[in-house]
Amino acid sequence: MSDPLFEIDALCVDVPGRRLLHGVTLRLLPGRVTGLIGHNGSGKSTLLRSLARQIPSRGEVRFEGRHLSQWPARDLARRMAFLPQSPPPAEGMSVRELAALGRYPWHGALGRFGPRDHRAVADAIAECGLEALSDRLVDTLSGGERQRAWLAMMVAQQAGTLLLDEPISALDIAHAVEVLSLVRRMCHAQGRSAVVVLHDVNMAARFCDEIVALRQGRLIMQGGPADLMRPGMLQQIYGLEMQVIARDDAPPVAVPA
Amino acid sequence: MSLAGPRKPRPAVHVWLLGLCAALLALMLWQDAALRLLPWGNWPGFPLDPARMGLDQIRLGFGLMPRGVIALVAGAALGLSGAILQAVLRNPVADPTTLGISAGAQLALVLATVLAPSLLEIGRWPVAMTGAMLAAGLVLAIGARRGFAPVTMVIVGMLVGMTASAIATAVTLAQGEYLLSLVIWNGGALVQQDWSGVRALSLVLICGAALASLLARPLTVLSLGAEGARALGMNVALIRLAAVAVAVVLAAAVSAELGLIGFVGLAAPALARTLGLRGVGALLIASPLIGALILSLCDGVVLAVAGASGEMFPTGALTGLIGGPLLIWLLPRLRGSTPPGTEAAEGPPPRRARPGRLLAGLAVALMLALLVLVWIGRVPGGWAVLDRHSVAQFLPMRLPRLIAAASAGAALALAGAILQRLTANPLASPEVLGVSGGAALGYAAVVFAVAAPGALLLGAGSMAGGTLALALVAAFTGRRDMPPERVLLAGIAVSALASAVLAAIMAAGDARSWQILGWLSGSSSAVGMAGAGALAVTAALLLAMSLVLRRWLAVLPLGDGVAGSLGVPLRPARLGLIALSGLATGAATVLVGPLSFVGLMAPHLARRAGLARPADQIVGAALIGALLMLAADFGARMAGFPYELPLGLFASLIGAPRLLVLMMRRVR
Repeated sequence: MSDPLFEIDALCVDVPGRRLLHGVTLRLLPGRVTGLIGHNGSGKSTLLRSLARQIPSRGEVRFEGRHLSQWPARDLARRMAFLPQSPPPAEGMSVRELAALGRYPWHGALGRFGPRDHRAVADAIAECGLEALSDRLVDTLSGGERQRAWLAMMVAQQAGTLLLDEPISALDIAHAVEVLSLVRRMCHAQGRSAVVVLHDVNMAARFCDEIVALRQGRLIMQGGPADLMRPGMLQQIYGLEMQVIARDDAPPVAVPA
Repeated sequence: MSLAGPRKPRPAVHVWLLGLCAALLALMLWQDAALRLLPWGNWPGFPLDPARMGLDQIRLGFGLMPRGVIALVAGAALGLSGAILQAVLRNPVADPTTLGISAGAQLALVLATVLAPSLLEIGRWPVAMTGAMLAAGLVLAIGARRGFAPVTMVIVGMLVGMTASAIATAVTLAQGEYLLSLVIWNGGALVQQDWSGVRALSLVLICGAALASLLARPLTVLSLGAEGARALGMNVALIRLAAVAVAVVLAAAVSAELGLIGFVGLAAPALARTLGLRGVGALLIASPLIGALILSLCDGVVLAVAGASGEMFPTGALTGLIGGPLLIWLLPRLRGSTPPGTEAAEGPPPRRARPGRLLAGLAVALMLALLVLVWIGRVPGGWAVLDRHSVAQFLPMRLPRLIAAASAGAALALAGAILQRLTANPLASPEVLGVSGGAALGYAAVVFAVAAPGALLLGAGSMAGGTLALALVAAFTGRRDMPPERVLLAGIAVSALASAVLAAIMAAGDARSWQILGWLSGSSSAVGMAGAGALAVTAALLLAMSLVLRRWLAVLPLGDGVAGSLGVPLRPARLGLIALSGLATGAATVLVGPLSFVGLMAPHLARRAGLARPADQIVGAALIGALLMLAADFGARMAGFPYELPLGLFASLIGAPRLLVLMMRRVR
């Protein structure tokens, strides 16, 4: 296999009075959709945000072989894009303008918005299927469309790695499938990598190549969907008895027993 | 407190010890003053009978003693009022000061003194009560349309309060020395001549406490939120009305009796929460006690200072002095107090397809306004278009002030636009964030530190003050993603600190204090061509710089998460923009005083007019700000012809109602 995308060694995150991550050690591979799952408060979002360098952490994180703290901000932004949980309201911005913000790491505060930037934005809008909506205001879009507009911003960033914090938590099932399919397509067709925090086990099993499960700030599982979808493992992750229902020509689904 | 959760820090012992210490300290301070007046042995016996008492005995029995008691009673009333308001509005920043109630009472009293002194013969109470009720009614009426969203309420309250005190200041200025006593009254002096004030306030407090105890349970239910309370079968509107009425009466009574004593009602419940008290009942009991202690301590300090230096300043000034830093200290400790999603969103403002035309139109309008204002004027008995000769004569006087007014408006608007984008808070502005207050302090510092300071020095002073205030606010809020209410609270704290210091300066009654008071309401009449030119260049430079930085201004409203992951250098960007808006505010404040609302209003108007992109909004806001200030200048010159009203004052008289209308707009 190729070089690891992230090498995480003994990562700890503390907030006053509490430790959110207890020495997580982990390697994530490129070109895959990796799902982070766990119960509420398990530290999955914390892990993602420390990978995105959004919160201070202790321990070592290497991204593409280089220590995370050594990346200059804009260089990092050219390689890695991050979407926070519940993206902020993009007040008065059109879809195209939002996508164009993704070019910031390339042109900076003063640089010219050149033909390459225009092309990148157009490609991003096309890739996310937003051509028809590109002049609409982001505020006026539906939840799924809005999430796709944010994805377009990340695509325009031309980063090889996408970090998504619960991108489908506010979406209905159809939009959730639409967004995750897009993420999966973006990874498999374009050679990108994605790390996605997910709440829904079945969604994680269906759309992710690899699953990382946390419980109370500790890593308890890393493996494929098949490793996850076992009653014993699910019980261990969520502390709840779960039943896995096998289906003939489709992946199995887990329901509370 | 019936529920003792496992994680709760043991409050009981600490809290009682702390309270006891504070009470003892307050008592000692008071006793110190009393003993200085009269040794123990000569103290009058009870009951007090003036006929059989010496002069010093009377001063003790009918001056210091009621003063000590009234500090406790008034503090308790304010604490209770604040606790009730915070509970009923579910708003940790609510109190009689922030909701404009005290300012309403103050304005009513000032107006009555000037316009209808006979009203005051009935008594100060009804007048103050009416003013407070009107102010509270206005604030609540607007708040009701926004679902009593905490941030909106405080903004509206501050607007109402600032407008009220702007009018009061204008009237004070117009009357000269005559109202100096009111200026002192504004600061809230606790001086007493007999026990009548104590009796009256005690009565109000007892009634208020009784009603509050009746309201405790409904308020607990209401703390679940209006929907939840309604689902439990409560008449939400009635309870809200009753609770607010009780709180307003309590606050207005204190206002009528003692004047403006700020922030006790805000600090007491906040302190109670910090000490680990939870639940409406506990807060309603603890807040009056804490409030009484706070005011008592403050008054003790004032008495001690008076004893040591002979300088007497109003106690209300001190509560502001303490209130500001206290709030800043409390800021990181207040958490989770505002339930998410309580702030109702406004419908998206329109967006113009071709903003260029609107901007061009605005620029033309600005030019036209400048020309017209140079040419027309008011003469005794009517209006006149000046002939060529008069224009030549008036131009050197008129042009500088027009240029200066327009540049100041543009600079304030720029600062507002930058701050609104920086904090992603549509209500941020130099006025709200304490920048103006800081600038005023800087100005005052220069006035007092330097004999006969020049305009340049005054400008530098207010710029430094403004930037410092903004840096302070940013430092205390930046760590926590700057949630709107925290930013506002910090801004209010800084403003409170500034106005407290200014009130203390006013009360000193020095000639220099009149210079500051005059400047506070803003005037462009004194500015020369050099000053106007400098201001215009500053405004133009600021505009150019904010245009250069427009990409930051586009990304930053999306929050740290997005901005950081796009590689925007957050700290330098923040600091740079903060410094920029501090400079802009300082420069403008030198001219128009800190009271204008242009910085809040102009970016709003630009956005409402459909200017959405950062560059468009910035340019539009600057143009609109310049126009607004020209209009204010025109109004200030013409409304009271041949006398001139203060410019900043006039601007706020235009601006505040406009903003209130904006907030009245129904949520779509």
